[in-house]
Amino acid sequence: MRASVVSSSRKIMHMLGSELEKLVTLPLIWLTLIVAFLANMVLAAAFTSAGLQGASGAGAQSILNTGLASMGYLQAGFIILGILAACSEYENGQIRTTLTAMPWRGYQLSMKYVALAILTVPAALIIAASGVFYSFMMMKDAAAAIEMDKMIEALAGAAGYLTITTLISAAIGALLRRTTPALALLIGYYFIVSPLSEPYLPRIFNYFPDIAGHYMYMKPASDDINALTPMQGTGIAGIWAIIFMAGAIAAYRRRDA
Amino acid sequence: MKAFKAELSKLFSLPYIWLALLLGAFAPALFAALDNFAEKKDIIAGISTRLSEVGYIGLAFGVQGVIIVGVLAVSSEYVRESNENGGGQQLTTSLSVVPSRLSFMLAKGGAVTIISILLCVVAIFTTLTVTRLILGEYAPTFDWSKLLGVACYWVLTALLASGLTFITKSGVIPLTVLMINSSVVSLSVVLSKVTKLAYYLPDRAGIDMFMSMSDSVHTPLAGGFVMAAWAAVFFMIAAIVFHRRDVAA
Amino acid sequence: MLTIDHLVKRRGAHEILSGISFQARPGRVTGFLGPNGAGKSSTLRILLGLDRATSGSALINGKPFAQLANPLMTVGAAFDGSGAHGMRTGRAHLRWIARAAGLPRSRVEEVLDMVGLTYAAGKRVGSYSLGMGRRLALAAALLGDPPILVLDEPVNGLDPEGIRWIRTFLRERAEFGNTVLLSSHLMGELAETVDDVVIIKRGKIVADGALEEIIGTHSTLEDAFFALTAERAGDTG
Repeated sequence: MRASVVSSSRKIMHMLGSELEKLVTLPLIWLTLIVAFLANMVLAAAFTSAGLQGASGAGAQSILNTGLASMGYLQAGFIILGILAACSEYENGQIRTTLTAMPWRGYQLSMKYVALAILTVPAALIIAASGVFYSFMMMKDAAAAIEMDKMIEALAGAAGYLTITTLISAAIGALLRRTTPALALLIGYYFIVSPLSEPYLPRIFNYFPDIAGHYMYMKPASDDINALTPMQGTGIAGIWAIIFMAGAIAAYRRRDA
Repeated sequence: MKAFKAELSKLFSLPYIWLALLLGAFAPALFAALDNFAEKKDIIAGISTRLSEVGYIGLAFGVQGVIIVGVLAVSSEYVRESNENGGGQQLTTSLSVVPSRLSFMLAKGGAVTIISILLCVVAIFTTLTVTRLILGEYAPTFDWSKLLGVACYWVLTALLASGLTFITKSGVIPLTVLMINSSVVSLSVVLSKVTKLAYYLPDRAGIDMFMSMSDSVHTPLAGGFVMAAWAAVFFMIAAIVFHRRDVAA
Repeated sequence: MLTIDHLVKRRGAHEILSGISFQARPGRVTGFLGPNGAGKSSTLRILLGLDRATSGSALINGKPFAQLANPLMTVGAAFDGSGAHGMRTGRAHLRWIARAAGLPRSRVEEVLDMVGLTYAAGKRVGSYSLGMGRRLALAAALLGDPPILVLDEPVNGLDPEGIRWIRTFLRERAEFGNTVLLSSHLMGELAETVDDVVIIKRGKIVADGALEEIIGTHSTLEDAFFALTAERAGDTG
């Protein structure tokens, strides 16, 4: 009994190692992260420059807001990351190789999500921090001393939000199995449907993954009575990610590869 | 002509293409409806500042459908995600049927253009119908020159999507950039706050063909020319790249 | 030992396999023959746990594939194509598979050498020829040095030298007591490699036995195959 527990936990570590190796040996993953980093810097520069032009009320909070203003666009990079991680399995029939090496589908896909999170958390932290750091360097003359704990909280929230977005995207990618439709669906939701309908249905929209997730790193306006705390935001967005991942695993276990 | 017909039938047999077409036909009406409901009170009171945008705003955001069509038309030639073809790309077959790469590209572009025009006609019809239903007698009149501008905007956007996808060989970048840029959170709008050059980006210039926004800088005709120039440049780069590249590379 | 028992697979209204049964034994190379679309790949996919059977079973040493303790060390499988993402190198592809089974990296170099792909191991799979892709798939199947090999159209895409190599290789594996099941629609290649033959047509087994029995009074396996798979109105054999 004990021997089988040991061997199955070793098997799970093997699967995690394998999924991590798959991710880091795929040049597309690095390309996506590098492009996301560079695009984020350009945007941070644009927002900082726009912020400096209208330099009113430049405080510590405004540096954070400016540095994280590009988050809305940066999430596209992480949506792509999640979709690539999921859909690359379906190129050239690699899924058959995966399933003959790791036929325990539920565990295998779960380990893929764990591996993806292990890669995404530091990448998101570095990319988000670099944007905030840039704004800080450019705006520090105009700003008061920045509060370190506030900054760390916001950056942790931003990295968490991007990781959750990546995992949701990976789950949708695994459900649809094709890059273009998954991308059209997710970009369509995050950039078109959600921002367009937000003004019309505010209360319900707080429970949607992206809107709830925004509270993880953005300080809500003080007059926003529907505002969530960062913890509530994390909880709601996290539940969405778990629902989508569970759905993807359930579908993956049932269908023909 | 044969190549053109072949491209049309290839497009219509793509998985998910019908969803893109449905999106293109009805999403503009949906966006316009949301906007109409929001503006209705102001319009009736005669204090709306956005009367000239009513309806058109749906057609501006609703361009997503033809972006997907333009990207899918080209990216489908390169995908290897299908189980059945054993990892082969459709492009190899396509180019053995139409050996001239230039005529292959022109046929592709022609098919995308025709579909975009048809889709735009349907979208204009659904959007105007919805606007009239919601606003009734307060609905603004739509003049033909602006609706023609909408059609040009859709066609040029779809061609930009196809041209970009020919260059990148994958739909990921064109789809992301173009979809985001035609949304409310358009990157071009952000950039236009930093540099005036951003007004010459294709989507920003093209939208002047039918939206008279407070910060418009081009006449409709000039905007159309700028956008058409972008599409032409992208197709030319695509033609050069596509001509030089090995199919398998 | 591979045991296929009353296997049925339906997709929608279409019946792909209508209750087929056969076995592949240790020490023998079993050829699984049939025209395109007869159900060969479907059978192998169910055997490897990729597709679900509608009813019946396909077992490996008495167990479904997913219940094997060490799948990669029990069964090596290769399907059509390379089964590898085009942007990864051949070596990186084999390494993640090796890691999944807890095999050392040195094993990757060994199998690369066995299939003669060491020279291209650092190149992206997307730049491989069809034959190189097949060799890579075979290398992946051999990683765990499994006693059972299941190969879908293994000679498809190989050059004459590769075909001769795989023929010798598979014969050797069988002589050491291993089980080899391979599907093919190429009779000529098969006749010189296999001990047993299973012929499938439209989801039904039409012949199953030793090579000599199947050839019987026909001059070649090819003749026997066409005689067995041709339309025979009213003749149920």
